Amino acid sequence: MSGRTASGRGPGAALILLAAGNGQRSGHATNKVLLPLAGRRVFTWSLDWTAPVHEITHTVLVVRESDRTAAAAVLAKESPRRDITIVSGGNERHDSEWAGLVAVSRAIRAGEVDVVVIHDAARPLAGSELFRQVIAAAREHGGALPGRSVVGLLPRANPNGTRAHVGAAGATPTVAVQTPQAFRAEPLLDAYEAAAREGFIGSDTASCIERFADIEIAYLHGEAHNIKITFPEDLFVAERLLARSGFSLPRRGWRSR
Amino acid sequence: MSDIASAELTCASCARTVDHELHYSGRLLHSTRCTACDHLTEVEPRVLVPAYLLDLEQRVVSKPRRLLRQAVREPSTFLLGLPLAVVRQPVKIARELRSLFRG
Repeated sequence: MSGRTASGRGPGAALILLAAGNGQRSGHATNKVLLPLAGRRVFTWSLDWTAPVHEITHTVLVVRESDRTAAAAVLAKESPRRDITIVSGGNERHDSEWAGLVAVSRAIRAGEVDVVVIHDAARPLAGSELFRQVIAAAREHGGALPGRSVVGLLPRANPNGTRAHVGAAGATPTVAVQTPQAFRAEPLLDAYEAAAREGFIGSDTASCIERFADIEIAYLHGEAHNIKITFPEDLFVAERLLARSGFSLPRRGWRSR
Repeated sequence: MSDIASAELTCASCARTVDHELHYSGRLLHSTRCTACDHLTEVEPRVLVPAYLLDLEQRVVSKPRRLLRQAVREPSTFLLGLPLAVVRQPVKIARELRSLFRG
């Protein structure tokens, strides 16, 4: 499974790319992460951005069972050189995260992976630097969440940018939390194993960490352009933002009626 | 990539998360339509046409590299599919141009 192996360089980070959606799709539409976007599929942009992040040594793509064949075909075309494990996710985000963690659990227990990065494939614009930052912060503090504050400040963060635990962040309405999020691998795996034993289903990674782990979370300033593809308009915006990173497109001029 | 795709997205007009029809001109998203309320979002032709032409130029320039990559990766598939691909390309571009100017 490992891509650029970390042998001789210490443990690496595992990227879990969530592309399964929420399981409530009507069944006949394409998963939005498989849509074309500026010459690639939405989800392979994240693979593109993380290709130069050498800290990432393992990559797991979590898809819906019905999307496995399509995802594998896209990977063969758009990320042919990257060693990626494809696993099937569940109906809930928590299930998909757990499926991804199980895929790297052996590497975590063997000490080959010390950080797990969880990223939503519907965020195709999270840049390489943000991945590097969350990995470094997770190694230093235990966990790292990027976020954008509505009022321009990250509330209730310590002066050094850290918090004792993450619970309040999820409840703070003024912070829009983004992905990629990174956590030390062993506590994260322990937390999800405990959640599995108790039948706990968290709404996101933070809720599981809050309940079953005691690690410090660092807050990082997220990127303004790190949008999540939710509305059709987001696809137009993403196309234009990608134009600035080398895909030549005009920067303006779409209308809605 | 197909010219028309469908995906579940949240409509900014009716706020429902339903299938949307997405129309592409080449690699560029041309328009989207909500299947529930018919809300249409589209790129203005005055912007899309030059963007398409610029993108077409990029596609043409990068084609030899992409063909070489495919030939190295899957030589037999590449050779078998080459004649059909050569015939299909002009048809594909003509179809894209037609959809572009019709839109």
